Amino acid sequence: MRLRTIKPWWVIAAFLSGMAFAMWAEELVLSTQESRLEFSAPRVHFLVGKPLERLRNASEVPFVFKITLWSGTRSHLLREVPARFLVSYDLWEEKFSVTKLVTPRRTASHLTDNAAEAWCLQEMAQDVTGISPNEPLWARLEIRAEDSKESGLPFGRGNITDSGISLTSLIEIFSRPAASTQPHWSVETGPVTLDELRRSRRRG
Amino acid sequence: MRTLLLTGIFVAVLPIGCAPFPDGPSEDEAGSTNVNTRLIVESVQVLGRGNVKLSDPLRSDLRSVAGQNFDQTLLDRLADRIKRELHAPEVRMHVVKGDVPDHVIVNFEIGAEREKRFDLDLARFLYHSKQGWSGQGHATVNIHENAFSFGMVSDGDRLNERYAGIEAGFERKHVGTDRLQLRFDFSSYHEQWNQATLIEAAPDDIYRTRTQFAPTATIVILEPLTVSFGVDFARYRLSLPVAKTESSNAVVSTLRYHQRWGSAGDRGEHDVRASYSVRAGTHFLESDPVFARHEAEARYRFRRGHQDLSIGFLAGKISGLAPLFERFVLGNAETLRGWNKFDLDPLGASHVAHGSIDYVYRGFLAFYDTGAVWDRPEEREQKQSLGLGCRKSGFQLAVAFPVRTGVVSPVFYAGMNF
Repeated sequence: MRLRTIKPWWVIAAFLSGMAFAMWAEELVLSTQESRLEFSAPRVHFLVGKPLERLRNASEVPFVFKITLWSGTRSHLLREVPARFLVSYDLWEEKFSVTKLVTPRRTASHLTDNAAEAWCLQEMAQDVTGISPNEPLWARLEIRAEDSKESGLPFGRGNITDSGISLTSLIEIFSRPAASTQPHWSVETGPVTLDELRRSRRRG
Repeated sequence: MRTLLLTGIFVAVLPIGCAPFPDGPSEDEAGSTNVNTRLIVESVQVLGRGNVKLSDPLRSDLRSVAGQNFDQTLLDRLADRIKRELHAPEVRMHVVKGDVPDHVIVNFEIGAEREKRFDLDLARFLYHSKQGWSGQGHATVNIHENAFSFGMVSDGDRLNERYAGIEAGFERKHVGTDRLQLRFDFSSYHEQWNQATLIEAAPDDIYRTRTQFAPTATIVILEPLTVSFGVDFARYRLSLPVAKTESSNAVVSTLRYHQRWGSAGDRGEHDVRASYSVRAGTHFLESDPVFARHEAEARYRFRRGHQDLSIGFLAGKISGLAPLFERFVLGNAETLRGWNKFDLDPLGASHVAHGSIDYVYRGFLAFYDTGAVWDRPEEREQKQSLGLGCRKSGFQLAVAFPVRTGVVSPVFYAGMNF
């Protein structure tokens, strides 16, 4: 029986296509920059649909981001970091502006949709000083668009009339879409170690 | 003791109850983060309903937006006001590029009118430490332009009797023209009397049940002036050993004026309401008591920013012998707050004069009431009261003190829409 020789370029092609597929399939991509863990999600676009419709109507749309990290085991929560961003869209320049609500505020303007999304993710980078390079890490990114009109008060403005509390008004409040139906995105990755991320960065 | 306990609870609860509700963005969100704030509003239009009737203050506020920088919060508030004024199910704001660079046009689109087929209203709800609980609720069914309502009430505050029972009504807001409205009200109550009233009253003053039917028509003479006229047929069963029913049938006429101007923003909003009503019980309508009841009421309200000032005035006179439910009462949750109506006049009076000043700042309420009720001029004695509390979105929580020498006896009350 004669063994067919496998040519090296087939191996390389298979490896590269596997990598490419893995990259395409992976929705949350982690990378390290010195002691910072950075996030990107090339397949996640949140400036779409209803939020984009509101932005194009000159409204400002708040987005809540949350990064969750687990270390060692999937059940060991390392940290949860929420952040709030206000996105607006200049009707005349047709560019996005994003403000991160921290003190002091950070703002980026004249951005395309992709650049605005990337800027938000860039702002979610985490300091990983103190985390063992061999410790397995899991990460999750959650993004939620908020409805600016939600007051959260059962008897908020305009629900009590001169003639009292109207049942119809209350029904309107409680029939608003629940939080779970708000536009939201969630992507995860792991386990991965900081060493692996640093090696892949050197390779890349 | 109970009043002291309630006052203690009130003092503890007041700071919580009066904590300002979030009216807008929080501190860290304040400021211009919306990139469109650099743009100038070219014009504002209200679209979607053929015959849009907005109040003068709202029209003025909409006009004043043109020429200003785009302000989403302000425009959202205006959309809410349009929605409230027009009772529209939805008001959508559309912002498009204007004709001039860096200018935008704001269009408020009123959603198609969705008739509220069925609605429930809690029209009044009150706890008063001297008079107990009062409540009133209605269910309304709208069929085309006709509204049929049915409700229940138990009120121990407004009159010197506690009346509890059912109310039903029919209303048509346009009879051929927008200037004519028709109403038919029916009510049937059982009465409960305070001991102080029973001691003072003659046996044939007290009744156990009361049924009323009142058809009225309202004509818009010249906006904002309206006149209502009709008749009020009341039958009441006296609490005599031998059951006897009497009728009090009166011709009713009311002239009303309501005008608003200015805006709640920088300049302030002014609101004036005034009414004068006459109810005349006459033998012509086969009424047992014959009387003429005149009542004049006026209220001026000024709002600017977080400040709200209200000045009210009431005067009335009854000539003849009117049944107890027609007589004037002071010392409840709306007049001479802090006084007990049964201490002032357990039967009600034939004459009344009352004035009040309410001032609200960020929900904190301070008020002063003064007034008198009397049958004979020598009985006239001016009373005064002071109070503190909080008022927000129709809810009110307050403690009131009668100004008099001797024992301090505060009155506590809480509720909505009274």
